Amino acid sequence: MGDPIIQNIIELFHYLFFIFSGSAIASYLVLAFISVIETVEYKRKNSYVNYKEIMSSDSAPSISIIAPAYNESLNIVENVRSLLSNHYVNYDVIIINDGSKDDSLEKLIEVYNLVQVDYLINEQIPTQPLRNGIYKSTNPAFEKLIIVDKENGGKADALNMGLNISNSEYVACIDVDCLLLEDSLQIMIKPFLETTDRKVIAAGGVIRIANSCVVKGGKLHDVNFPKKLIEQGQILEYIRAFLLGRMAWSRLNGLLVISGAFGLFDKKIAIKVGGYDRNTVGEDMELVVRMRAYMEEQNKIYKVAYIPDPLCWTEAPDNYKIFISQRNRWTRGTIETLRKHRKIGFNPKYRVLGLVSYPYWFFFERMAPVIEFIGILYFGILIVFNKIRWDYAFALIILAYLFTVFFSLIALITEELTYHQYKKKGTGIRLLQIAFLEPFVNHPFILYAAIRGNFDYYFNKKKKWGEMTRKGMTKA
Amino acid sequence: MNTYRFLIDYFNDSPTIIQATWIVIGLFSILILGLILYLKYLRGHLRKKESITVAYEQEYEAALITYLYAGNDEEEISSEQQAIIDLLKNGAKEPFKRKILIAVLLKLKNEISGEVAESIQNLYYQTELVDYALSRLSHKKWYVIAKGIRELKQFQIKEAYNPVIIHLNHPRPEVRKEMQLYMVNLFYFEGLTFLDLLETPLSEWDQIQLLEILQKLENQNISNITSWLQSSNDSVIIFALKLAKIYNQLEAKNEIIQLLHHINKKVRLEAIDVLSYLNVLEAKEILKTDLQKRSQEEQIAVFKMIENLYENDDESFIMKYIYDDLFEIKIIALKILKRINREKFCSLKRESSDDSFLRIVNFIENN
Amino acid sequence: MNGAKKIVLAEDNSMLSKLLKFKLEKEGYSLFIADNGKKTIELIEEHNPELILTDIMMPFVSGLEVISHVRNKLNLLTPIVVFSAAGQEQIVLKAFDLGATDFMSKPLSPNELVLRVKRLLS
Repeated sequence: MGDPIIQNIIELFHYLFFIFSGSAIASYLVLAFISVIETVEYKRKNSYVNYKEIMSSDSAPSISIIAPAYNESLNIVENVRSLLSNHYVNYDVIIINDGSKDDSLEKLIEVYNLVQVDYLINEQIPTQPLRNGIYKSTNPAFEKLIIVDKENGGKADALNMGLNISNSEYVACIDVDCLLLEDSLQIMIKPFLETTDRKVIAAGGVIRIANSCVVKGGKLHDVNFPKKLIEQGQILEYIRAFLLGRMAWSRLNGLLVISGAFGLFDKKIAIKVGGYDRNTVGEDMELVVRMRAYMEEQNKIYKVAYIPDPLCWTEAPDNYKIFISQRNRWTRGTIETLRKHRKIGFNPKYRVLGLVSYPYWFFFERMAPVIEFIGILYFGILIVFNKIRWDYAFALIILAYLFTVFFSLIALITEELTYHQYKKKGTGIRLLQIAFLEPFVNHPFILYAAIRGNFDYYFNKKKKWGEMTRKGMTKA
Repeated sequence: MNTYRFLIDYFNDSPTIIQATWIVIGLFSILILGLILYLKYLRGHLRKKESITVAYEQEYEAALITYLYAGNDEEEISSEQQAIIDLLKNGAKEPFKRKILIAVLLKLKNEISGEVAESIQNLYYQTELVDYALSRLSHKKWYVIAKGIRELKQFQIKEAYNPVIIHLNHPRPEVRKEMQLYMVNLFYFEGLTFLDLLETPLSEWDQIQLLEILQKLENQNISNITSWLQSSNDSVIIFALKLAKIYNQLEAKNEIIQLLHHINKKVRLEAIDVLSYLNVLEAKEILKTDLQKRSQEEQIAVFKMIENLYENDDESFIMKYIYDDLFEIKIIALKILKRINREKFCSLKRESSDDSFLRIVNFIENN
Repeated sequence: MNGAKKIVLAEDNSMLSKLLKFKLEKEGYSLFIADNGKKTIELIEEHNPELILTDIMMPFVSGLEVISHVRNKLNLLTPIVVFSAAGQEQIVLKAFDLGATDFMSKPLSPNELVLRVKRLLS
């Protein structure tokens, strides 16, 4: 390694690595700081809003909940009942049975007294055709329910069918097994209705993890902290991402992602941009980026709102196999979206979107695992050549570790000060414990999945949807 | 001692960057330790607060029930009641307990009307809680004002009219909203006079809440809305249009027709909708003449109106739109045609060979 | 107290139920209080009351399900009065469909309630 050119390259590499780490840390701190400001403001604004006051109004705008279902026979009846129990008045529930091969449709027909109806679809977005058609209930208690049985076309295709079918002004796109709190729609619609100085095009909600929680009659009854480390790690990760990350992005009006599990959209704009993209596995992120790009190109003042209240609870993977395939898919979704919209990146025409959000996502979400991986490889090479100053390495690793723990603790404290969902005695110590363990129990798998995702994206194009087999919630 | 010495030397001999790293490590360790202790304290504190809250809640609930039934016919306030008033008044001095007390009073007041509700309001005066709320109205912080107004609304304290109306054009929308809700909740339609002076936009959320309160009232005699229809504040016009629809303000027909040519598209859309609802045929004729110049949304709204108000001589007009590019318009045009000239409608089926068009025609024929 | 007529009151607002209990016991009725639908059904099955007062919005099992249980599962003709917040007309209609006897809208007047209870139980 005496060659001065190689020496210089290595030097440069070191510097880049330091700059990257430094700016990553700095950006986390800045985001955390902004999110604290935004959280305080949000709490002040909404602490005394009585959502019941708007709940019964029929002058409130119409919302369609669109929930695609593929082979969900196990829980579909329960899930639909939960969706029908929302307190908002002016809404309907559109379940898209996306070519399921199981008996989902038969079960729904039987339980909800469904009959086939004639329905004129305004096919504004092309989709796979209907299979058995469209069903509604003969029982007036279920008049809000519309079941659409279509040929399989994937999640994006099913959501597009829902967009075509809906007659509402707003659409809430969700995963069918999501547990929505009863006042979730009132809370989500609020930013659309109260903002007068700009157009709100979409609102994203927080996703909370329902593993180990007790659900009764389609309602969240008791919040529990799960036992498995993999589940605990994800809870911490979600708290960090939603309370510290997205909250700050919402303040900067730079939010790029609305979780596919729960988002509310202005239907007209969603359709205008062409609905969900069927060719990506990251259709939720891609749609938001496309809607934003459209608004920027039209030079319209707009906003993507974000609601930090815990409104949507969903089951997270409880084993590493499914966890890895989920993260693998997320990685590919991010790469696809960023690639598809690369004209936005670093383009001042797109303002915050092009100059802040896109670069951040590119470097700290898209590239972070790759850079980390290269770093580890390099470290390995140095070990082989016995070039390591172990004491230096030791100091830097400890520093990185402590920063991670520090950041997790800030997230936990924010959670306690705002929503305080894990109230039970004894959970505190387990929250602390996972803050220290998470870098070892979940992070290596996330890194592995991200690298696999990169590999699959470039070299394994045939890779299909990671099937997400979900474990049922604790039914009491 | 030797190890210590060694570490100090090691530190001093290290390059600056490593020294800095160790210093930051030290810093983070202290911070983390602090955060852990704080987290522990916080969780304990929250849990304790919750249990104390429950205890006070129970105490105050019991006191309130006793108060409500300790009255007798001879005295206005019995001695037993006076004791409870004193107890609560004392509690109200502490902000924490005051908050609980107010919540307890509201918990019952919101669910009840008549005599009991009046005695709760009376208690609100007696315990001097009202003074705390009134003093909030001139506070520096907007959220304190907003909460104050909200509380006065909930206890229906009409005397606060003057200090509340001052906030008519407060820079924070949250304060304005509470002010508006106070006015309408307590003074009903008369409370709406704030619309005359409102300079800031009335959001859709505000409008829905106000309408909801008004619709719950027994007295549905609305005041004259024409001045609001001519407001310079577009959101006030839109709100007035909604009022016109709900309260069938046919008297304001001419003012509303004027709004069909308003500069703001939202106003025009709302006006079309209201005129359709009020069955104003002359509006239809006006809109038919300049339909092409209007936006897509307006065109659809106009067709919804025609669907509601069609007459037989609209046929020639309708025929121009049965192949319209806009799905909504095409459908309404065909629906109307089916009703006014069934024969012609059926002939379309024979003449056309376009699949998607036939699909629509068949659907309309069967439904 | 043997002759006291029994009333089951289902209401999740503890203050309101305390107040009504106080008021109705003063009139000589015997009250059983439930704060959720499930407990309501248990109390009805246990005490077989002469009258049922129930709020429509309750956690877990709604007032509607209580009515349906009484009428269809237990096949009882016990009069049922439902309480509902203003603006829930649709739900009230459903309640009548299922067999509710009377309804009172919230905020409710305790004196009026007593009058109605007396009328129904006379």
